[in-house]
Amino acid sequence: MSKGQRIRVLVAKVGLDGHDKGANLVTLALRDAGMEVVYTGLRRTANHAISTAIEEDVDVIGVSILSGAHMKVADKIVALMQKEGIEDKLFVMGGVIPEEDIPKLKEKGVAGVFTQSATYEEMIDFIREGVRQHRE
Amino acid sequence: MASGKKGVEPIGEARRKWEDGTLKKGVQRLGLSESPIQYYTPADVAEHDFLENVGFPGEFPFTAGRHAIPVHVPMWGRGKNLGGGKTIRHAFGYSGYGTAEDMRDFYIERGKTPARGGGPNIAFDLPTQTGYDSDDELAEGEVGRVGVAVDSLRDFEVIYEPFVGDMELDRIASNWTINATANIIIAMYIALAEKRGIPIEKLRGTPQNDILKEFVARGTQIFPVEHSMRMVRDTITFCTEHLPGMNTISISGYHMREAGATRVQAISFTFANAIAYFESAIDAGLDIDQFVGRTTFLNFGGGMELLKEAAVRRAARRVWAKIMRDRFGSKNPKNWIYKELGGGLSGYWPMTIQRPLNNLVRVAIGAAFSSLIGEPPVCEPPYDEPLGLGHSVEARQLAADASRIIMEECKLCDVQDVFAGSYYIESLTNQYEKEMFEILGKIDDMGGALKAVENGWMKDQVIKSAWEHQMKLRKGEDVQVGVNKYTEEDEIEIRIPRTSPYKAERREDAEGRQIASLKMVKAERDDRKVQACLEKIENAARDDKANLIPFFVDAVKEYTTLGEICGVLRNVFGEVH
Repeated sequence: MSKGQRIRVLVAKVGLDGHDKGANLVTLALRDAGMEVVYTGLRRTANHAISTAIEEDVDVIGVSILSGAHMKVADKIVALMQKEGIEDKLFVMGGVIPEEDIPKLKEKGVAGVFTQSATYEEMIDFIREGVRQHRE
Repeated sequence: MASGKKGVEPIGEARRKWEDGTLKKGVQRLGLSESPIQYYTPADVAEHDFLENVGFPGEFPFTAGRHAIPVHVPMWGRGKNLGGGKTIRHAFGYSGYGTAEDMRDFYIERGKTPARGGGPNIAFDLPTQTGYDSDDELAEGEVGRVGVAVDSLRDFEVIYEPFVGDMELDRIASNWTINATANIIIAMYIALAEKRGIPIEKLRGTPQNDILKEFVARGTQIFPVEHSMRMVRDTITFCTEHLPGMNTISISGYHMREAGATRVQAISFTFANAIAYFESAIDAGLDIDQFVGRTTFLNFGGGMELLKEAAVRRAARRVWAKIMRDRFGSKNPKNWIYKELGGGLSGYWPMTIQRPLNNLVRVAIGAAFSSLIGEPPVCEPPYDEPLGLGHSVEARQLAADASRIIMEECKLCDVQDVFAGSYYIESLTNQYEKEMFEILGKIDDMGGALKAVENGWMKDQVIKSAWEHQMKLRKGEDVQVGVNKYTEEDEIEIRIPRTSPYKAERREDAEGRQIASLKMVKAERDDRKVQACLEKIENAARDDKANLIPFFVDAVKEYTTLGEICGVLRNVFGEVH
């Protein structure tokens, strides 16, 4: 699939949590790194995030979540990605997610989890590498 | 730097001599290009007038302190007997999780421990905050997580079961971190009191109810700005008339600071929002001095540059006093300064998940500076804040002891406004005052806080400042110990035991249990009465002059749910997020 050079990323706030400092900063950092980023705004459903991901033809679906509902949200997103046949997209999560939950999220199909100790550089490198692999 | 005033000319001259002599020698001896530290003299505050700019604690302009004697000084020792039959009834530490039963049991257990406080300080879950019942599709996965789930009056009845006898509703103060749905929660409290035969004039509490900052930084708003403001107007007018003991709002800068606002922005935006709330109450026919005594501020947020945090709070007091006396024309000097929780000078955002015990050091230093400016030396947050929901019992013990050491070993609260007369701090205080009035002028020019919030300007400023700060961190211009500096392999990670105050297994199955209770509530109530109440709410909502709180009270008494009420309001007001 030929998509051109620029990586397209969806940053989504899924669920009821209204803290979006992280989502806003990640959006700015990824744009600063040359990516095209669509930010959904607050209080979106998993359905909305997925349909936006398809409409905007993104390479990466990023969900920011600080409310403790990350397991349920991951389940919903992965299920919808399978249903819509878009499992080739990279699914990453960020926010306040306990260390012990990260392996479980990866088992569910989350490619990368970026919590408070992650740097922008790590996220950017991970996304670039992940998308490069998916495009091959 | 030296002004024309005769007194400071010699100082200006002496300073030049020092810079060209002793200072220059020091710079050269250390191989530097310039001095890395500052020094302030009277020349930096040449226009300073002690009586005009500082004065005395508890009097205009309140720079030196909000009260002649800060309340925490004689009241030290929460919940303990002061002698003379007096005790303190503080709201308990901010907490919440699970179902109403889980919270009730939490309060019963806490009541057995020495940390017992007065009334509850309740954190609500996100569905409750954003107007959804626990069985709503949108609540899935969120019930009972960031706080307790409240769907109907029944949940309030259960939560407040332990608050009887000498902890009855007329003897405690409740604290509710609730905003868009605050009036429904207040209605439940009223209904609970009436059921218990407690006169509602005796009720005391504080709902956060600061909807404007939700749009800017916290994100639980439901209705458009105009209708959200109507709800706050309802709170102020209703409580002024019927609940004289109830605070109506807790205007917050903290959240905007946490979201990235600078210290001057956070305070200026808070004041702009406060002005909007007060103008709304005045438009509703109240006199400023009728209602302002029951408005409060939370705190202004903080950061680790504590000298600046101290100075900006001194400036905030002076700016606010001028706003109250000169802009609003308040005639009661007691109303010229805000009531606030205070403290929190170190903020929450500087806390790190890396080497988290360092956070205890951060808050202790912040609390020390709090005491120097007349605010309580509260060591918040407990060190394990970044480690997840719920501060451990051990972390709270460390925080409590740190406060005690500051208060009773260091005796930092023994002198009021230690910084009064400091050339550096007074100079900085003056500068911050100027900057705050500049921002307030800018907001006035764009039509006030309502416009600035509605068109997204305020939020944009916050995001911009957040980004600028992140860039400084990325470049290493700003340091976070253990995060962007001192991260080599030989640094030791230290962990200590953490006992959660919450029962994790209860949080995991809270959603199922809450949905089951809600089902029972719906089965046992009279649906026709519920429908009738909802129709009345809808009609009243369409009438901007109507106060919705009495309609909420009638509805919750019939066990109409919070989600049902909000559903009707969404239909009438529309929805934003």
